Amino acid sequence: MGKLRFISVLFAVVFAVTACTKKKSGSLEYGLDVKETLRINLNTEPPSLDWSKSSDTTSSMVEMNIMEGLITYNLADRDLSPAPALATEWKPSKKGKVWTFKIRKGVKWTDGVEFTAQHVIDGWERLLNPKTGAEYAYFLFPVKNARDYNAGKIKDFNQVGIRIVGDGDLEVELEKPLAFFPLMLTHHATFPIRKDVVEKHGDRWTDPANIVTLGPYKLKIWDHDRALVMERYDDYYGEKAKIKYIIGYMINEYSTALNLMQNGRLDFQQSLPYKELPLYRQNPGYRQTPLISMYYYGLNIRKPPFDNLKVRKAFAMAVDRKQITDLLAAGHAPLSGWVPAGMFGYENDVGTKFDPEAAAKLLDEAGYKDRSKFPRVTLAFNTNENHQRIAENVQAQIKKNLGVDIQIANEEWKVYLNRLRNDTPNMYRMGWLGDYPDPATFMELMTSYSENNYTGWKNQKYDELVSKGASELDKEKRRKIYYEAQKLLTEIEVPVIPIYSSVSHILLSDRVDNFPVNSIEYYQFKGVTFK
Amino acid sequence: MIARVWGAIVAILFANVVLLSFFNYEIPTVLWWAFGLSTLGGAAVYVFTKGLTFYVLRRILEAIFTVFIIATLTFALLRVLPGGPFDSEKALAPEVMANLAKKYKLDEPLLKQYADYMVGLVQGDLGQSYKYISRDVSSILMESLPVSVQLGVYALIVSYLIGIPMGILAGWKPNSFLDFACMTFAISGVALPSFLMAPIFILIFVQYLGWFEPALWDGPAYYVLPSVILGIRPAAVIARLMRASVLEVIHSDYIRTAKAKGLSARKILFKHVLRNSLIPVLSLSGPLAAGILTGSFVIELIFAVPGVAKHLILGVTNRDYPMILGSTLIFSYILVIANLITDLLTAIVDPRVKMT
Amino acid sequence: MSRREGKSLQREAFERLKKNRAALGSLFAIIVISMIGVLAPWIAPHAFDEQYLDHVLEAPSSQFWLGTDSLGRDMLSRLIYGARISMAVGVITAVISLIIGTIYGAISGWFGGWVDSLLMRSVDILDSIPSIVLLILVKLVFDSFDIIGNPELKALTGMLLALSFTSWVSLARVVRGQVLQVKQMAYVESARAMGASALRMVGQHILPNILGPVIVLLTFQIPSNILYESFLSFLGLGLQPPYSSWGVLANDGWRSLTSYPHLMISPGVAIFITMLAFNLLGDGLRDAFDPQMRGR
Repeated sequence: MGKLRFISVLFAVVFAVTACTKKKSGSLEYGLDVKETLRINLNTEPPSLDWSKSSDTTSSMVEMNIMEGLITYNLADRDLSPAPALATEWKPSKKGKVWTFKIRKGVKWTDGVEFTAQHVIDGWERLLNPKTGAEYAYFLFPVKNARDYNAGKIKDFNQVGIRIVGDGDLEVELEKPLAFFPLMLTHHATFPIRKDVVEKHGDRWTDPANIVTLGPYKLKIWDHDRALVMERYDDYYGEKAKIKYIIGYMINEYSTALNLMQNGRLDFQQSLPYKELPLYRQNPGYRQTPLISMYYYGLNIRKPPFDNLKVRKAFAMAVDRKQITDLLAAGHAPLSGWVPAGMFGYENDVGTKFDPEAAAKLLDEAGYKDRSKFPRVTLAFNTNENHQRIAENVQAQIKKNLGVDIQIANEEWKVYLNRLRNDTPNMYRMGWLGDYPDPATFMELMTSYSENNYTGWKNQKYDELVSKGASELDKEKRRKIYYEAQKLLTEIEVPVIPIYSSVSHILLSDRVDNFPVNSIEYYQFKGVTFK
Repeated sequence: MIARVWGAIVAILFANVVLLSFFNYEIPTVLWWAFGLSTLGGAAVYVFTKGLTFYVLRRILEAIFTVFIIATLTFALLRVLPGGPFDSEKALAPEVMANLAKKYKLDEPLLKQYADYMVGLVQGDLGQSYKYISRDVSSILMESLPVSVQLGVYALIVSYLIGIPMGILAGWKPNSFLDFACMTFAISGVALPSFLMAPIFILIFVQYLGWFEPALWDGPAYYVLPSVILGIRPAAVIARLMRASVLEVIHSDYIRTAKAKGLSARKILFKHVLRNSLIPVLSLSGPLAAGILTGSFVIELIFAVPGVAKHLILGVTNRDYPMILGSTLIFSYILVIANLITDLLTAIVDPRVKMT
Repeated sequence: MSRREGKSLQREAFERLKKNRAALGSLFAIIVISMIGVLAPWIAPHAFDEQYLDHVLEAPSSQFWLGTDSLGRDMLSRLIYGARISMAVGVITAVISLIIGTIYGAISGWFGGWVDSLLMRSVDILDSIPSIVLLILVKLVFDSFDIIGNPELKALTGMLLALSFTSWVSLARVVRGQVLQVKQMAYVESARAMGASALRMVGQHILPNILGPVIVLLTFQIPSNILYESFLSFLGLGLQPPYSSWGVLANDGWRSLTSYPHLMISPGVAIFITMLAFNLLGDGLRDAFDPQMRGR
């Protein structure tokens, strides 16, 4: 036993000596005062805070709070009209082909340097430079020669349609008139960049010590995979942020995040499981808001049976969208047109209506009176609980209303995307989240030249309408053009079956107030307060 | 005697490192050095004096070779896998796609890419992540590996702490109620997938009792649940093995002799049974480490632990080739090394084992 | 020891097994579960894919004994059909890996020499890739190729192949070890000297002798396959409708333990009982076949 005692004494001595060091405990709070800190869940580690390069929602959520662009959204307006940010005013000329932006004076970056129009040009040059490899480079493709510069066909950036005019203002020349161009400048990809900082620090310029921003918050700590802290930027040109710190955790599993929330460790969680929404609806921190996002089934019209218009129509008419949204019980709105509910361009009365009898009759007329002769149809979706619920419900509805057995098949996300491009299934599920609150982002989707149109449907008239709509400055005329285009797409030609337009759900802790919810999931924290 | 003192020192230092890390103290560099030097130095001296140098060197070389083969296999598997790293809900314009392919050299012939990767690997460069733009895979792994190791070591300790006593209790009094209870526990431990066990534990220990935190990784209250859930399965395996081992030893001749000599039961248990029946359990540590590695995928996801396993899973969903390759290689290497350590430890404890 | 003796060895083992109540009970439970799986269409109270849209996510009631899921499907029926799929996945993969493992191990053990070292080195390498990594990658690869030409069966075949691919290694090792042992026994050597063909020898002398350990290993392989299957479901790489296993059900339910406990509890209990039964039976079989190696 003597040996044992010796060992324990030795152990205790070593422990006593070494334990005199400082304790790291509570380091996940980084010494921040909870009363001054908004604790949010970012869901994942931000892949990059380089706003020219990142292309995901997590990074964007941070970037949109530490940076600003020429234009921002008017969050008070339901339609999210453009509002001044780094540009104080702007106006189109040549029917919307050229836009001039008046640059705000006296804006300071976090290192004290004054913001100029050149920073915007630097940002755009970097975004479009082929060497940058920016995924969102296509955002500026409407700008004159931008696409060719990105493709490497033009080497000289001076040929791209952006230049400084007058007293340090910006003039942008587009390939063709674009009514909604200012809205595109709300996106982080188009934000100005400090070339000197990027050149000085290389790939590490987004580290908290190096990064230079000008938004209402600045990056304080970025502890990879654990947390990210933003601190109020006191020299911000606009109204200062109310809450001093924002800490973002990176919790992938929503059930885990909700557990933390229940334990009072989180103030904001954005992805909520549909299944449990009924439970959260009673919670005072629950917010639900329509999104500019929609869910649809595409039909491959290159292959039978959907090469037959009557079959397409029959399927579209045999699906009761209301049943699906009721089943999901997530607050989604059934959609028959192509533009999501609640945004400009949404039309109540386009698209096919649910009519099982007429659908069955159409299928008879299409030559499938004997249903056993109906070809095998596969409905594909990517592996996900909700997609599966919808697919299984649609499968049952088709069976019931048309007497046709369809197969459903799911695949892992990337395998699925690959299949859509190379071997498009008869029916496939897809969704679209608008990049900016304008119907154009949806209408472009089904043009013959769109990379996201997997249906094989190409319609010249539709292309023309979409192009015409994009450059029309008169709102009422635009609405009419888009109405016609939607009718063509969802009622006359039917290469797609719109299902619903989405809503977003978030949960806030009891102490959070003035939290902005909007249809583009732009969470601007500067106005948030505690009760 | 020297070996024993050395063993005691290593054990003390190890216990200190574990305890300090568990209670979230900074571990002084001195302690790290002391631990590292005593372990490695001791091992080196042991290996050398026992004439095992060649054996160990061979094993290490083999391990490196194995890792290269695995790199090749994984590289091939990844390229067979449909779907590229830059496919996303919003299909990219062809120009943009071409720029990305060029940036990450994905437009070069596969063999060239493979050769480049291998050359990089030799230089210790695992490439840049596709998902975490502009970040080196090796630096990402180096940041997350300590956490995974921490979790793994805690789980291993938990499994020994639960498994060994239970196995001894069960084996010491076979067919008693205690035996039955321990074995029921042991088999229950392997009978439930950890992603079902975790919510039950969270419900009980977090929501009802409020003892621990439901997720994240920042101190004892955070460490306990993931480590215990991760350790239960190996604990069950150990308990069963230990029981069998104790039974075997008890029935062996020398224990019978010891009993006949009138030695006390406790003395027999601690002096002979424990030592001899621990050997097979110890030799299982390699496979156990593999099991813990496997389980850590689930645990890291559910408890938001910032470890390596999560990177591998997310790497696969993102088709982040360098990330998948890097983390696979790290895991494989850990496994190979764990097996080597196990073999060496077994040889130290059990002189009967011969190594060639 | 002749072939006949090999048989009597098995009889002895069976006698020993009969005395082990836990193992017998487990065997019974496994048979019951298998029967439930086989007879699923006749005993399930509802069609497993019938959606009762007015009864979505209901707690257990007299109409739906185990409640309904998020599509209004009867959980009990899904559980019963799940038994079918889970058991099939466990058994089929065990059999496939048995075939691969036996052939591989037998070749390696029988030929010895450089063949043996080559085969065993490859197995070592395969073994040092963490099985779960291999499983994920192989599953994804198999999933993306439609081998059977039926998209509904694709995920199932992918699952079977991936699980078999990763689980034959231990079987190959055991078989090789046994073959090596048996090969050195006097009667085999004499038979060999008398010019018996290799195939005949394997069939007559070696297979009966390695049956015991292989059965034991298989009994442990089946539950581990079921577990890995549920694990892949957790990672979103599980089976796809209309085939849903217990793993799929459990994965649908584990996040809502507090809100809809019935979604997790019933598949959880099913998995638990099955794993318990297979493990107890495995323990019993091991004790029976190899009384010296109890519990190893």
